[in-house]
Amino acid sequence: MVAVAGSAVLALLATACTGSSDSGGNDDSASGKDVTITFWHGWSQDNETKAIDDNIAAFEKAHPNIHVKAVGNIPDDKVNQALRAGGNDAPDVVSSFTTNNVGMFCSTKAFVDLKPLLQQSGIDAAKTFPAAMLNYTQFQGNQCSLPLLGDAYGLYYNKTAFAAAGIAHPPKTFSEFAADAALLTVPDGDSYKQLGFMPLYHGYESTTEHYLGQYGATYFGADGKSNIAADPKVAAMLKWQKGMVDQLGGYTKLEKYRSTFGEEFSAKNPFHTGQLAMALDGEWRTASLAENKPGFEWATAAFPVPDDQADTYGRGYQTGTIVGIASTSKKQAAAWEFVKYLTTDTDAVVSFANAIHNVPSTFAALDSPKLVSDDNLKTFLDIAKNAHSGTTPPAVNGSGYIVSLQNLGYDYESGKQTDLQAGLTATAKQIDTDIAQAK
Amino acid sequence: MTPSNTLTEAPAPTGATRPAARPGSPAARAARRRALLDWVAVHSLAVAAALFFLLPFVFVLLTSLMDDQQALTTDYWPTHWEWGNYGKVWNTPGFLTWWRNTLLYAGAGTLLTVVSSLPVAYALAKFRFRGRNLALMAVIAMMMLPPQVTVIPMYLFWSKQMGLSGSLWPLIIPMAFGDAFSIFLLRQFLMTIPKEYIEAARIDGCGDLRTLLRVVLPMARPAIAAVALFQFFYCWNDYFGPQIYASNNREAWTLSYGLESFKAAHHTNWNLTMAATLLVMAPVIILFFFAQKAFIEGVTLTGVKG
Amino acid sequence: MSLAFGTRKRNGGKAGAGPSGPAAPSTQYLLRRKRRREAARTLAFLSPWLVGFGVFFVYPLVSTAYFSFTSYNGFGQPSFNGLKNWDYVFDQLPTFWQGLRNTLWLVVVMVSLRVAFGLGVGMLITRVKTGAGFFRTVFYLPYLAPPVAATVAFAFLFNPGTGPVNHLLGEIGLPQPGWFADPDWSKPALTLLAMWGVGDLMVIFMASLLDVPREQYEAAELDGAGPFQRFRYVTLPNISPIIMFAVVTGVIQTMQYYTQAIVAGKVASGIAGNSGQQFEPGYPGGSTWTLPQMVYNLGFQRFNYGAACVVALVLFAISMAVTSILLRRKSGFMANDD
Repeated sequence: MVAVAGSAVLALLATACTGSSDSGGNDDSASGKDVTITFWHGWSQDNETKAIDDNIAAFEKAHPNIHVKAVGNIPDDKVNQALRAGGNDAPDVVSSFTTNNVGMFCSTKAFVDLKPLLQQSGIDAAKTFPAAMLNYTQFQGNQCSLPLLGDAYGLYYNKTAFAAAGIAHPPKTFSEFAADAALLTVPDGDSYKQLGFMPLYHGYESTTEHYLGQYGATYFGADGKSNIAADPKVAAMLKWQKGMVDQLGGYTKLEKYRSTFGEEFSAKNPFHTGQLAMALDGEWRTASLAENKPGFEWATAAFPVPDDQADTYGRGYQTGTIVGIASTSKKQAAAWEFVKYLTTDTDAVVSFANAIHNVPSTFAALDSPKLVSDDNLKTFLDIAKNAHSGTTPPAVNGSGYIVSLQNLGYDYESGKQTDLQAGLTATAKQIDTDIAQAK
Repeated sequence: MTPSNTLTEAPAPTGATRPAARPGSPAARAARRRALLDWVAVHSLAVAAALFFLLPFVFVLLTSLMDDQQALTTDYWPTHWEWGNYGKVWNTPGFLTWWRNTLLYAGAGTLLTVVSSLPVAYALAKFRFRGRNLALMAVIAMMMLPPQVTVIPMYLFWSKQMGLSGSLWPLIIPMAFGDAFSIFLLRQFLMTIPKEYIEAARIDGCGDLRTLLRVVLPMARPAIAAVALFQFFYCWNDYFGPQIYASNNREAWTLSYGLESFKAAHHTNWNLTMAATLLVMAPVIILFFFAQKAFIEGVTLTGVKG
Repeated sequence: MSLAFGTRKRNGGKAGAGPSGPAAPSTQYLLRRKRRREAARTLAFLSPWLVGFGVFFVYPLVSTAYFSFTSYNGFGQPSFNGLKNWDYVFDQLPTFWQGLRNTLWLVVVMVSLRVAFGLGVGMLITRVKTGAGFFRTVFYLPYLAPPVAATVAFAFLFNPGTGPVNHLLGEIGLPQPGWFADPDWSKPALTLLAMWGVGDLMVIFMASLLDVPREQYEAAELDGAGPFQRFRYVTLPNISPIIMFAVVTGVIQTMQYYTQAIVAGKVASGIAGNSGQQFEPGYPGGSTWTLPQMVYNLGFQRFNYGAACVVALVLFAISMAVTSILLRRKSGFMANDD
């Protein structure tokens, strides 16, 4: 504990040193000199890039001497690589769609600690950001990133298909869900005309960690060791998913159907095209569905929960986009101005949330009257507020432990791994050695 | 014999040289029938093999001309011929930049490789010095080295020391210091140049450099063409290099790297992806038709005779 | 620079020239002078490569060996951690052995099928009389297709849902495997891709087949040898060095097998490094996972440089062991003209 506190102090000192006397940077932007900062983000859909560009334009209008060069569609491994390389093309401000790598970004000091900057700007983080979001943007006391809108995962269902199958309400438990998925499945030779649900882990958002959001599994024990072999919820989830796979036609048949799916972030998404009648997806999908106007009625609900946890209905996997400042950046003052604007300016947060249908990430924005919310989006705001909702904890090696579990999932769903408990024990051991190795 | 002979003459089948029987005799008729059967068998096999090699191109071409919807079906033949797909691909943001970068990488890389490798190959082929075998072994070792073995220190060197991450320069600059495969290939060819030519040049008072440029260079032209082509193709096709050094910076992407991201962006728009695929293949294949002979000679040169 | 080096040496030689004295250079002195000039000349011609060898071969190899004993994630400085990385890779990273097993599969199946197929196509082309030029070009063409383009094309052709290959197989009533999406079929699919691009081997075999002295075939025929025996006792012994060459270079190429495997995995998995998603090589189920991809994954996705360098060194050791077969005199690689 002392060591952790000590290193946090050291980290504070280190950032205080690399930043200069004023607001943590020495780029002269404060004195009005023209500065151009590079901003990397992962958004790629037209409506999203337009929204972030509008957001940037509003920032540039308020700060005429700071120019932002935005580069979109960047995955996390490229971010990690660039943060190590530094150089002229390296980003100053970086955002990531997942919170998975926060542990790595913080512990490696790839991102600067924002706590001193928040203090200098007179922002009380605890009163600005919801606690869950504040937690997933820090690691062991190092607040190296801030939330930039949040994501919650729920159920999308095709109301037209529901009516045709004679289903009145969206399912609340897994047994209802399984029954509905079977009713909604329309075979077509040895394939499907319509599939009730795509359970495979490669089916875009139907990943192990998103499913586990419905179980509330504990990934790490108090000793920091992987808990997945000990927590029966993890095995229960993997068994449930495998049961869905077998019930809906088996791995090979589903995998073949999956290969006909269009790109996830496009109008060819299988839910948009009617290939799937139900999908597990994030709240942003409400925006693209509203824009693409598929030829059927759709609605959203919380994703069902295991029958033995029926009282937790309303929960979901929660995560968010995070934004941080690269420690290699030589324009930290301007970068902080930008990050401060993106994450704490109520109008900016609200208008961005409205544009891309995300969950706002500050208290002020959540309460803002300007926040546009229809019933479909409200489902997700509620999931985000639900006390049972949770996320994946940060680790020093980033998303390594999630990837390991996901790999076990692939092996189990395809029948390559048949002994589940042995697989979980081996995977837990692998996660522990990977983390020990990364320290 | 030099391998080039095989390219211009249609090879005679092995059975054709048997002593001819008197025409009209039963033996002659049997031989003719056997030759005919042989012809049919060989050519049907050849047609089958040609289908194996050509059909992928044909399917890719046909799919590239379908509309978005049809490309997701199992149809073989386009109902509407969407020639506009090629225009769409061509006008994709970045496509022209990828072309420019690929040409720069392949062009500069090829030029530097030839200029820097020829003198080395010449020295290894024609000079007698201690350690020559060792040097040759080192060249071969370098040639066989998977690029992944050295990539981590090299990446750290180029990105941290030189600040060249996000560009193709870490891939181009090393080519100014000799490319092992090119050195090896040129050496194999230069060995076949008779010593007398070089000695004659020396007696005429040519220095070593002049001998190389005036006497050896003109004779080695086919090998140099082959090396240049190989290097050009290598750069054009390289995926690992740009993935490591240029992937951070969209402005520095090459066609090979960009094609894959094109697939990502257009996922099951297989028609556009296939059109892009053909546009990436086309220059290499066109170049091949212009330089077929040099290329096949080069390939033959790599297969060393025992 | 190297020339100046030579001059200095010559002066040095002059000073200690001994009995004959500086005024009348002896033949011995002249010889020595010539030898030194030759050494300088050799050095000058070799200099670009000597620099390259040092900077792009020796330095990174030493450096890789050094990093393999350190803990380093790209930030700060590497710190020495003994054999921890080695222990991790060999004892605690099952994907390492999986990569080795996949590589062994590719060496045994892909290399041998490709060599056999190349030899077959080479023999076929030497016997084609009509349209030989056309067939030669067609057989050769796929070899030129850029690997990324060829792999993307094959991932489409062999797509289990909409690809024409499975459609054709279905029409003639054959089973339709999942190819690049099925752990059992992904390596066979990659093997087909490798066999499609067999043009280089075809040309090499074609040239060597035409070099087999025709008299040997005639003699064998007079002895009553059939086509199979002629192949066994005449063709094979004559071209065996070329087969050896094709196998060894094939194995070395397999050690570097990267682009096709990673691109096929990306395309088939649907995760193409898009929108914040990160693609881990090996899809499906680690069946296309090879050591070069492991270096990339450990080094550039997980930023565990130490462990990545251990894998790199293993790759180096295997490659050099295989290369040493080529370095044997018999292979002709090291043939000299004097």
